[in-house]
Formats: sequence, C-alpha cells, structure tokens
Amino acid sequence: MLIISQSASAIEKEYALKAGFLFNFARYGEWNNHSNTATSFTLCSPDSSFINTSRTVLSGRKVNKLPIKNIEVILTESDLTLCDILFITADTLESWQQLNDKHLSDVMIVGETDNFIQQGGHIRFFLSGGKIRFEVSPDRLTLSGITMSSKVLRLGRVVND
Amino acid sequence: MKLSQKCLYLFMLISPYVAAEESLSNLDLDLDSLMAMDVQVTSAMKRTQSAFETASSIYVLTKEQITRSGVTSVPEALKMVPGLAVRQLDNNQWAISSRGVASRFSSKLLVMIDGQSLYTPEFAAVYWETLNVPLYDIERIEIIRGQGGLLWGSNATNGVINIITKNSIDTRGVHADVSSGSQLNIDTNLRYGSDIGNNGSFRVYGHAKDAQASDKGRRIAPADFSEQQSAGARFDFTPNDQWSGLIQADVTQSTLGQNYNGVVDSSNRNISFVGTVDRTDSRIMARLENRISPFANQMLQTSWLKQSGNQTHIQEKFESFDLDYQINFLYQDLQFDWGLNYRYNSISFAQSTFIQSGGGFDNLEQYGTLAQIQYNLLADKLDFIMGVKVDHNDLTGWESQPLAKLVWKPHNNQVVWLSASKSVMVPSLLLFNDKFIIDGLRVEEVSPITTGIAEIDQYYIRTYLNGNNDVKSEKSVSYEMGYRLSDATWALDLSLYHTDTDDVAVLEIDANVDQFIPVFAMLQAGQIDSALQTLTTTSINFDLVSNAQLTTEGGDIILTWQPFDSFSAELGYSYNTFKYDLVDNTFPAFGFDSTSRQLFTKADIHFLEQHNIFASLRVENSDAYGTENYTALDLTWNWTFHPNWSFAIMGKNLFAGSHLEYGNYGETYTRPNYIDETVTFKITAKF
Repeated sequence: MLIISQSASAIEKEYALKAGFLFNFARYGEWNNHSNTATSFTLCSPDSSFINTSRTVLSGRKVNKLPIKNIEVILTESDLTLCDILFITADTLESWQQLNDKHLSDVMIVGETDNFIQQGGHIRFFLSGGKIRFEVSPDRLTLSGITMSSKVLRLGRVVND
Repeated sequence: MKLSQKCLYLFMLISPYVAAEESLSNLDLDLDSLMAMDVQVTSAMKRTQSAFETASSIYVLTKEQITRSGVTSVPEALKMVPGLAVRQLDNNQWAISSRGVASRFSSKLLVMIDGQSLYTPEFAAVYWETLNVPLYDIERIEIIRGQGGLLWGSNATNGVINIITKNSIDTRGVHADVSSGSQLNIDTNLRYGSDIGNNGSFRVYGHAKDAQASDKGRRIAPADFSEQQSAGARFDFTPNDQWSGLIQADVTQSTLGQNYNGVVDSSNRNISFVGTVDRTDSRIMARLENRISPFANQMLQTSWLKQSGNQTHIQEKFESFDLDYQINFLYQDLQFDWGLNYRYNSISFAQSTFIQSGGGFDNLEQYGTLAQIQYNLLADKLDFIMGVKVDHNDLTGWESQPLAKLVWKPHNNQVVWLSASKSVMVPSLLLFNDKFIIDGLRVEEVSPITTGIAEIDQYYIRTYLNGNNDVKSEKSVSYEMGYRLSDATWALDLSLYHTDTDDVAVLEIDANVDQFIPVFAMLQAGQIDSALQTLTTTSINFDLVSNAQLTTEGGDIILTWQPFDSFSAELGYSYNTFKYDLVDNTFPAFGFDSTSRQLFTKADIHFLEQHNIFASLRVENSDAYGTENYTALDLTWNWTFHPNWSFAIMGKNLFAGSHLEYGNYGETYTRPNYIDETVTFKITAKF
C-alpha cells in the first residue's frame, strides 16, 4: 500500500502547506465584526481532498483559543456566512465562478488560480521556485471587514486595485 | 514538541519530502518555516531529500545562524561547521576542506553558489577572498562532508558546499548596513528589492569594503589589506505555477595585499615578497524550472564565470561556461533522476619568472550524464539508492563515479544510513601542465656523498616542480555510515567514514646524481671555483607521479539541544586521520600524515524581545598545519533597538589571541600571518 501512500502524499504536500498558511492568515487576521459568542474558527472549502488534508494538518490547533473546524461546503447550497475562511482550490474554481454574489462579509476568500483576486478573492497562492508565496489585496479584505497584520502583509505581494 | 518541530523545519530545508501520514500532522506551521518548504516531492536542483533522511554527512547553516553569528564573509561562516577544516592564512586568504588537510591551492571540495560551480581548472581551488555573496541574502548553506561526486561532478571528492541565495520575492525592500572595527575601516552593504508586475521580483545590491592588514607577520611585515567593491542583481520570474525562472549576476573588483614566496635569483632560495593582487570576478547564471506534475519536474541551468587576476607571479584569466539539464520524477515507489552536463573552460595563463606553463591547453571541455534511482524496499522503513555519473574530460578521458546507499528508518525519529561510493578527482592544470621553481635543495640533501667543503655541501641547487601529463585522476572509494535521532528537545547526528584513495599525485625526487660526477672530478683536481661554477648549471627535478595511496578516516558527531524557543545549543566533535602510503623516493605534494580533532560549541540566546547573543567556541587540535593548537571564541550581541534598526558588536577570535592557523610553509607561494582578536561594530537598517 506504500505506492498509494507515497503518491497521495505528493499532492497532499502542497495542500498541507497551504492549510498551514491559512492557519497563519487566521492567526494574524482580525475579523472586525466577529461575534464574541463563536465557539469555533471555521475553515471552509468545497474541495473534499483539501478538507481531509487540512483536518490532519490543523488537528488540535486553535485560533484565538477557538478550535478550528474544517467544513466541506457546497458553494451553491451552504450558508457560506458560517465560514471565517473560504479556500477555493483549482479543482473547485468552476463552481466558485458560477456563484452570483462573491462578496461575503466577514469571510476571507483565498484561492490559488490566476486572477483570483480580480475575480473577487482576497488572497491568492502562487508558486515561485517550488515554494508557496501569496499575493493579497488589503483593500478588498477591508471591504469584507477583515484586517491583516503587517507581519503577514510584508511577506506577501500586495495587490492594489 | 518545540525542537522536533524546529528540527523538522531545519531538516526539511533541503527539499522536504513528507512521505509519512503522521508527518503532516507534525508540520511546523510557523510562517517562516512554511515559506522555506518546497511543495515538490522532487527537487529540481539535483536529488536531495530532507536532510534528516539524506544518506550523507550533511550540515545546514541556516540564515538565522549566519546573520546572528555576526560573520562577515562566507568562509568565516564556514568556521561554524563541525567537520570542516577552515584555516585562515591571513586577513584575505583561506584554506578550506573537509575530511583531509586544507590547502590554499588544492582542494577536493566543490564550492557552488546556487548550483554554479566556482571551480578553477588551473588550481583545483576556490578564491575565497574574492567570493562575494551578500550574507543577508543567503537562504542557507548546505555542506556535504564526504563524496558528492555522483551528483556534482569530478571535484567533489571530499565534500560539497552549496550557497543558496534567497528568492528575490523574499528580499523586497531596503537593507543597509555599515560595519567598522579594529581591523576593518569600513564594510557597507546596500540592497533594494521590489516586485516586477504580478509575475516577478528583483533585487540589486552593492558592497564596498576597506580593511586593514594583520598586526603581525612571520619574518615579513603583513600586507594583507583589502579594497573591494561588488555589485549584483537577481531577477525571479513566476509566470504561473508550472514555470519559474531566475537570472542572477555579480561582479566583484578586489585589490588585495599579500605576502608570498618565490625564487627569483641565483640564490635558488625562496624569498619573501610583498605584493598586491588585482582581481575581477564576474558570474552570471540563469535557471528555468518546470513543474511537469506533482511527481515530476525538470530544470535547465546555464552559467558563465569569469575570473581574472593580476599579480607579480601569475597573470591568469579563466572563463567557464556551464550547461546543466536535469529531470526528477517519482513513479510509484521509485524515484528517478537523470541529468546531462556540459562545461567549457577557457584558460589564459601568462608565464612568469616563478611559473611556466607547459602550454597545450587554452581550453578544456567536459561533458557527462548522471542517473540515480531510489527505491522504497520497505514501506517508510528502508530505501535503496543507486546511481552513477559518467563524464569525459580532456585530461584523463572518461571517468565514472558510482554509488550505492541504504537508508533505514527503524523508528519515525531515527535514521541509519550506509553508503559506498567511488569518486574521481581530475588533476588540475597545475599538476598536469605546469613547471615552477621551488625553494632550492642543498647538495648534502641530495648528493650521495658529502665533500666536507661547506661552500659545496650547503650550496642550494635550483629545484623545479614539474607537472606532467602522466598524472592520473585520483580515485577514492569511500565507505560511510551515519545515524540520526531527533527527539523532543534534542537531536543527534553521527557519521563515520573510511576512504581509500589510489593514484594520488606525490612528488618524486630526481636528483640526477650523474650531474654531480664532473663536480666531484673538479674537486678532486682541486678546482673548487670551477666545481661551484658547474653547480650553478645543475638542477633537481621534483616530478609529480600518481603512485601513492592515501587513507582518510574519522567521524563527526553533533548534538543539538533546544529546551525553549529562545535558546538553542550545539556541541560537535570531529576526528580525522590522514595517512599516505608512499613509494620510496616520493613525498606528499600537499599535506602530510596527520590527525585533526575539533570541538565545537554554539549557543544562540534570545532575551528581552530585542536582544540576541550568539556564541561559538571552537577548539582546533591538529598536527596537519605546523601550528599550535588553539581555542577561539566568537561572540556577537545583536540589539534591535527599533523595528527598523539594529546594532551589533562582534568579538572574533577571543581567547585565541594572536595565533597562526596555517604553517605549511612548504606550500609554494604561501606566507601566512598571525590572525588577531578583533572587535567590530555594525548598524543595520531594514525598510
């Protein structure tokens, strides 16, 4: 069964690292309208394989003392307002593009495909020299009621509309 | 869990490879760590794995160690590496090697910047004094002790040093620093980096240095001042997630004072001189990487290096052009790497009183291929690695360098590795082609009989050292083994090796005894003046012959301890023996039978938020360099007194006082000085 585990890990590796980045975005982001009664920090994605990896990587982790909940959502049906972070993978971009209203208040929207920020996202992962880097639009985050710490902003490429 | 996470990060710097499920939940989620990790399970720049699982004696100098330790140059940073012999000849010159005796003009250690080789074909050595890499832009320095011939080519018998610089996307903004100290007038650096649209980034940098000479020399006043200016740039392009490219270029102009030896008159003796070297070193490289799939990638790299130096005894100019292609892929439980390489060297070497070239080579070509497979024999437990590099060079023809390795993980946090490999050291042109006059020998040292006449017996006969094209490549067979353990707060890394080298080039004395017959005849006839006159036309030849055997063996052990995030410590011990097996009438061309021991301790302490103290103590105990043993402490205090500003005081060679690190005067041209205690102050600004 080794064959499968090793091949699977090749793909998981990238998602595992991206889940780690999302964890840091959660730690260093401030959701201005976040309710004080929340019992968890919710990370959503329509991609089940990503959510599986993310569950493993982030198991036991906490954001502002809240446990992280990983939820696989269906973009057309789920109530996306439950999410604190929504990650749209390359495989699930199409369903995202079909979504009518891409502006979600209090939800950080992260993607990994070309022009994702222009398509309504806040942060986009890209690869440079085999390593994960990201670009971020602080303006669009502000519009959604989220402020990102300068610790994160200085590591990313800031995109101004 | 602190260390295991930190260690995992450190070990994973070298192209991480997360195979086991449980590793995913153990991932270090610190933002800096995540940014250092590679998404690919195959690394484009040759086959490397997590350092923890690498079947080689590997050490990684991290960017944190490099910046916190307050070192001011790459060779100085290498002083921190257990198992490397780093000897400073004077304020400019260095002798660096691993698993053997370090020499200024001969090294079996391959040095690269981002995979670009700095090897000079004339002397198998690196001009450390003119190697410029901005330390604040170094991602890490990977040091492999022992054979790296399979992956890196024919000059990596004793080790490989690869200096890896940061992607320019991580060096956006301004960095400026100014240092000055007891032997340093000024050393200043400036870098600016920014984005190029949405698909790229760049940095440009400049460096200027003006340093004083040492305080104390041997028999001659030190002249080892330096004046150096450098400029460089790097551009990275990332049009999409599948492709990325980079171009970097650097030019360094140096004027360096030096003391050296040479034979220039009829005394036939070495005379010490003071001179200057003017050098211009330029390099440019471009790399294109393509991620074919999560399981495969390929890389094309091309580079050009130009080194020209003018000094009294040698005028030299080398250019080398390199082209490398490599593809790495993973198919089920088999990893496969394949590569092609081509190198063209252009060599211009002016003759002088000191050195004469046999000529015949104004260029050298080298080309070859490598293949390596890694097969997982037992799931996540046992890996078998096998590979070979075959290449052709103009001096010794086809050479092959095979290896076989076994990596066993008895437990998740333990690795045992075994390795058997053969590597080849192609002779430098100096050995193959050149002839130079060396310190003369007395008649009584070489003649079968002495005359009892002091003028004759103690006359120094002109002596030549002759390279020749019968010199073969040196072939080494190495057996190595290692063990690594990584626990919650500590880690252990042990490696042992035994290397047998055949066809080692040594010197054979051809006293040409017959030439003394007429001298003795004249003496018997009472013609002392004529005899003396005849002696001036005699000469002795030292011919390089490849008939010696050399055995090197020893080991390195490194213990790392990190009880808290804010404190880490390291203890290292290295042992090496170097032993020739010589044919009668021959003697070593470099180094001699010797034993070297090193003890290292390091501590990195972070306190009161803005303060850091980095201490590094090394005890050098060796009979390989004709010097006393010494103990030196380097101590650096960093104070970040403002978010954008920091101040540092660096004390170097504390306790050691004024000490000699290199005393092998037999080495042609070498004339070392005493290395001093120094204190340096530095102010850094980052915006």
